[in-house]
Amino acid sequence: MSLVLCRVDDRLVHGQVVIGWGRPLGATEVILVDDAVAESAWEQDLYRMATPAGLEVRFATTAAAVAELPAWQGGSDRTILLTGDLATMAALRDAHPGIVTRINLGGIHHRSGRDELLRYLYLDEAEVALVRRLAADGAEILAQDLPTTRAVGPDALL
Amino acid sequence: MAMTPRWQTMIRLLGVQAAWTYERMSGIGVGHAAAPLLRDLYRDATPEARRGAVARSAEYFNCHPYLAGVAVGAVVRAEQDRVPGPTITRLRTALSGPLGSLGDQLVWTGEVPALMGLTLAALPLAGWWAVLIAPVVHNLLRLRLTLWGLDLGLREGLAVGAALQRSWLPPAAVQLQQLAAFAVGLAIPVVLMWVLRDGPTRGVTVTVALSVIGALLMMAPATRTRVTGLRLGLGLLVLALLVIGGS
Repeated sequence: MSLVLCRVDDRLVHGQVVIGWGRPLGATEVILVDDAVAESAWEQDLYRMATPAGLEVRFATTAAAVAELPAWQGGSDRTILLTGDLATMAALRDAHPGIVTRINLGGIHHRSGRDELLRYLYLDEAEVALVRRLAADGAEILAQDLPTTRAVGPDALL
Repeated sequence: MAMTPRWQTMIRLLGVQAAWTYERMSGIGVGHAAAPLLRDLYRDATPEARRGAVARSAEYFNCHPYLAGVAVGAVVRAEQDRVPGPTITRLRTALSGPLGSLGDQLVWTGEVPALMGLTLAALPLAGWWAVLIAPVVHNLLRLRLTLWGLDLGLREGLAVGAALQRSWLPPAAVQLQQLAAFAVGLAIPVVLMWVLRDGPTRGVTVTVALSVIGALLMMAPATRTRVTGLRLGLGLLVLALLVIGGS
């Protein structure tokens, strides 16, 4: 089928992703793009535990994801593409602007230097500039933690 | 007699959500719970090293509150094993999802509805004693689960994920959900018979009708993302109170 959601969430694989979005979208797999997790067996064990039956979770480095994205888009699975930070999603978008057209900001949480924009969204200056640049390049960016909550676009957000 | 750091942590874990915020979620509660064990672990270390460990353990974190002890134990053990700080932060992130998901399955969709169903089914036999016994049983199970989780984390450290997978917990979550389905299925006719023992009243008829409509809305593709269990439950509660109050 195709990518059904491209989400940035620093909690990575958790209930909001696999149940909150996965069920209404009918997702069959989650591909987590994270260079550190792709090399870490114990982290992969933990993330697999967080997925319900019927949903597969796979792991890829950013480089592998850039190479594989066209195949994922044309595959038979309904895929949630997940990154833990905005920069990784921006790299995927820059490599394939025709595939990563819509970016969901689902959870970027508090860290020193970040300001609160929404309860689940804290960005520092560099991340704000990145959101603006992606939006100016034509990406549709929406902050929305769950399908049942209001989606907020960059104009209202920044 | 002084309480051991393990028991101080255990007591603090009971209030792990007391300082819940959107900014750090359970982070402050987890850091507060870990502090006695970390203080003991770092008693001969420099204040900077001790502060660093406590600050790491109080960063953003979220999981099921009853299983927060697993994360506290694993992080303290990782500190004891001198695992680098960034790896400990990744351990906390990686534990958040599975501990939330397993806890939800085990407690919110397993043990709690199973206990509620059995309690309701026991009402005609045990009367209101059943309602008094249910929270006692629930809290005893919660205490045991929290202590088990803390000890598992302290024993396993970074290997806690594999240990969780091997443990009784994942199959118990499935079995408890099956028990919950059975118990609720048993409770519905028992409670209906008990409520309708004097014949159907207007309040009961309206509540049952609204429950059926709500359940259909939760399943229909067009409305199922908007009609959640919580919204439906609160809506039904308000309507039931209005109907009962007006009758």
